[in-house]
Amino acid sequence: MQQPRVGSDFTSWLLAYPDTYEIGLPNQGLQILYELVNERPDASAERAYAPWIDLEAEMRTHGLPLFSVDTHRAAGEFDIIAFNLSAELVYTNVLNCIDLAGVAVRSAQRSDADPLIGAGGHCAFNPEPLADFVDFFVIGDGEEVVGEITDVVGAWKHSGKRSGTREGLLRDLAGIEGVYVPSMYAVSYDGAALVEVTPRYPDVPPLVAKRTVADLADWPYPRRQLVPVTEVVHDRLSVEVFRGCTRGCRFCQAGMITRPVRERPAAQVREMVSAGLERSGYDEVSLMSLSTADYSGIAELVRDTVTGDASPHDTAGGASGYGTADAGADPSRISVSLPSLRVDAFTVDVAAQVSRARRTGLTFAPEAGSWRLRQIINKLITEEDLYGAVRSAYSQGWHRMKLYFLTGLPSEMDPDTEAIAHLAANCARIGQEYTKRASVTVSLGGFVPKPHTPFQWFGQNPPDELSRKVRLVRSALGRNRRVQLKWHDPAASTAEGIASRGDRRVGAAIEYVWRKGGTFQEWSERFDLALWQEAMSACGLDLDWYVHRHRGEHEMLPWDHIGAGLHRDFLWQDWQDALAGHGLPDCRWTPCYDCGACTEYGIEHIVASPVAPNGGSQGTGQDLATGHVVPVELRPRQLAGAGAPAGGGA
Amino acid sequence: MRLRVRFSKTGKIRFIGHRDVARVTERAVRKVGLPVAYSEGFSPRMRMSFGLALPTGYESDGEFVELPLVDSALVDGAQGGAGASDDVAAGGPAIVCRGGAHAPCEHEPELDAPSYCTIAEALSEALPVGMEVSAAVLTDGRGPSLQAAVRTCGWRFEIVGLDEAAAAKAVAALLAAGTVVTERVHKGETVSSDIRPSVEVLQVVGRSDLGAVLSAELSATPRVVRPSELVPALASAHDMGKARRTHQWTCGAAGRAEPAVPSRCAQRQKETLSG
Ligand code: SF4
Repeated sequence: MQQPRVGSDFTSWLLAYPDTYEIGLPNQGLQILYELVNERPDASAERAYAPWIDLEAEMRTHGLPLFSVDTHRAAGEFDIIAFNLSAELVYTNVLNCIDLAGVAVRSAQRSDADPLIGAGGHCAFNPEPLADFVDFFVIGDGEEVVGEITDVVGAWKHSGKRSGTREGLLRDLAGIEGVYVPSMYAVSYDGAALVEVTPRYPDVPPLVAKRTVADLADWPYPRRQLVPVTEVVHDRLSVEVFRGCTRGCRFCQAGMITRPVRERPAAQVREMVSAGLERSGYDEVSLMSLSTADYSGIAELVRDTVTGDASPHDTAGGASGYGTADAGADPSRISVSLPSLRVDAFTVDVAAQVSRARRTGLTFAPEAGSWRLRQIINKLITEEDLYGAVRSAYSQGWHRMKLYFLTGLPSEMDPDTEAIAHLAANCARIGQEYTKRASVTVSLGGFVPKPHTPFQWFGQNPPDELSRKVRLVRSALGRNRRVQLKWHDPAASTAEGIASRGDRRVGAAIEYVWRKGGTFQEWSERFDLALWQEAMSACGLDLDWYVHRHRGEHEMLPWDHIGAGLHRDFLWQDWQDALAGHGLPDCRWTPCYDCGACTEYGIEHIVASPVAPNGGSQGTGQDLATGHVVPVELRPRQLAGAGAPAGGGA
Repeated sequence: MRLRVRFSKTGKIRFIGHRDVARVTERAVRKVGLPVAYSEGFSPRMRMSFGLALPTGYESDGEFVELPLVDSALVDGAQGGAGASDDVAAGGPAIVCRGGAHAPCEHEPELDAPSYCTIAEALSEALPVGMEVSAAVLTDGRGPSLQAAVRTCGWRFEIVGLDEAAAAKAVAALLAAGTVVTERVHKGETVSSDIRPSVEVLQVVGRSDLGAVLSAELSATPRVVRPSELVPALASAHDMGKARRTHQWTCGAAGRAEPAVPSRCAQRQKETLSG
């Protein structure tokens, strides 16, 4: 275990995850920054997690502040407290942690010597709802910028943090590429409408463009993944195999803001897998990315991992210190988990490799029930793809799988929603051919439009409409015992919508919810929509206007001064294409559309394979227009329960 | 054959539960590359059996886990099997771990079972701080399980705010009593039982900055009686401070014994290192 150095000379970061230790510990972004800072001779990083309500009550009773888990140092003693923002509903926890640190929750009320409050992660791409509480945001990849921030803050620290110098420090930070300092910008409104966001100084950039590391090979982190002694959510080794995704799903913010695709070289992945297993004692490795089956050479990588051939014998010998030929745990015991599998890339080959060791759960995400709607969201997988993947999985011994869908998508009509039930029933039916125990779990999430996506202009479905769609799927499923239905609370999607596309004014509502005790809003037992509604009206804000309203082409959006690399006209055109039902193939294997992510930055995809590794609709150049030829139903609904033969499928 | 491992659980790590102990132990075994057998079936798990469960929050000097080894794990030194090191002692076979074979310790020939102090050290290194392996011995794996074999446990515990004299009086009174009826909550119900027959030894052994320190030997059958049940009977107005299990005693043909005693050799190496 690494021991961070403690000493007043070090520029100190407290990397805070605004949810419990069990949820936050595995977070890779936080662990990467933790290592990078601690590798510097002049800086140190420690970690903190949000105390659960019982512990918080004890801490407040005894006057104990938020503290680091590493050395139990009080949060207020750090130079920087930086939060990882991976979901909007954690915002009230961020405020709570700042308060528990003994720091004023509003940036404007902080004094010179107070810790700087920073934040990064995907949600930072719309920083405005937290603009009044966070001193600086990092937009995009943190690997390089964390060092640049450390330099600037370190210089200030060593100059004594003199009174009256905080404003100058923030101005310096605003000059770092990819750093957004909200207090350096004046925001003006015309009634409800946002009209202008202007820098307060000439040296403050009008547009803060995201940071992108050009090549993941330069950043083989984390090298020493933290191994917790208690159980956490992802208790296994994680190795990031690529960053970015250009499949182009239009609802997916992660895919839009992390372009282009940057694959880690296969030899480096193998090195990280074998060294990581060796030092952690884990017997399971997760190959992480937004869509791991798209990794060039994925089948070989998985095969070599489970057979123990992943040790990179051919790379610089001995450099890692794990030089023995049989390094790594007993290979026959290593399981591989692949999060976020695309069904068009999950072939029998991949299934067979994954299933050689212990089988873990399988989740596929068709996202929408009908081909029509999947074209609109640009999730260009056909029913054939799905059934083929499901068949591969069942034939390799799986008997349970989870299908993930979104409801409340643009232009969604009832037949689209009901088609979810038909797809699920067909999948369960395919499973019956292989095992009596075959079952399918359908998980429904309410769609929340996200900034920097083509759907950022779309008005979110109200909760009663989302609930109606859940009922629609439920009744379309009938009494199918092979299919279980689960759904995300539609009320929580509404609150998420407030923070997702909110502007600076929404901050007051977030503070209101926090002051009324509304922490841990990601936890269903703690979530309370009534509190959010009360907060919005108490702050004079119209929930409908923020969440349920469609935006027009020329409306200024609260995150327009944050650059995710995507041209606004590219996004608008993609939104129009969506409504027209036009799909857009993946630019990693086809010509560039000039979305801006590479062209503006002078970088490009780093992808080893010139074609999609496992084929699929896009990689094989299949005519996308024929997707609808696959029958929507494998058997008529009135025959449900009868032994009709399976058609279609693989 | 099985490797029987004795370990401690002290300091902050005492707050992790039994399942977490199993998890960190499993990872440590894999890090060391010990050739432990796995269960059969769809989801093979490493096979390991622990001794009597330790209540979460208690420290211990005497926890045990038995690890069944795969058949190919042992190499008879005389035959110089693959991977065996040159200096295999006559005391028993070498255990082949990833990266090499471990010979039995030649410094402890008086032990009934071959002892592997280098494996003990490697496991200590791989385990979290506070979990130290003090012995690793090879057994034939016959006989009752550890859980069934242990008859009594030795304990040492503090009573907060009680001085030694008052503690000695309370101990004398308890030992003189014919019955000591205490209540505890079991599966949501309050049950009362007489714990006097379970108290085999009880004495005051000193004091800490919190209060009197007592040691006890309490029976482990039909159930493990804990010091926390004794404290209300001794001094109802006082809380128990830190408590530590010091021993687990079995009763075999050769009399009262511990499943494995701390290896003097491993200790000696530690002392040299720290010293
Ligand atoms: S700039 Fe071109 S190649 Fe790069 S992500 Fe955008 S569309 Fe794809």
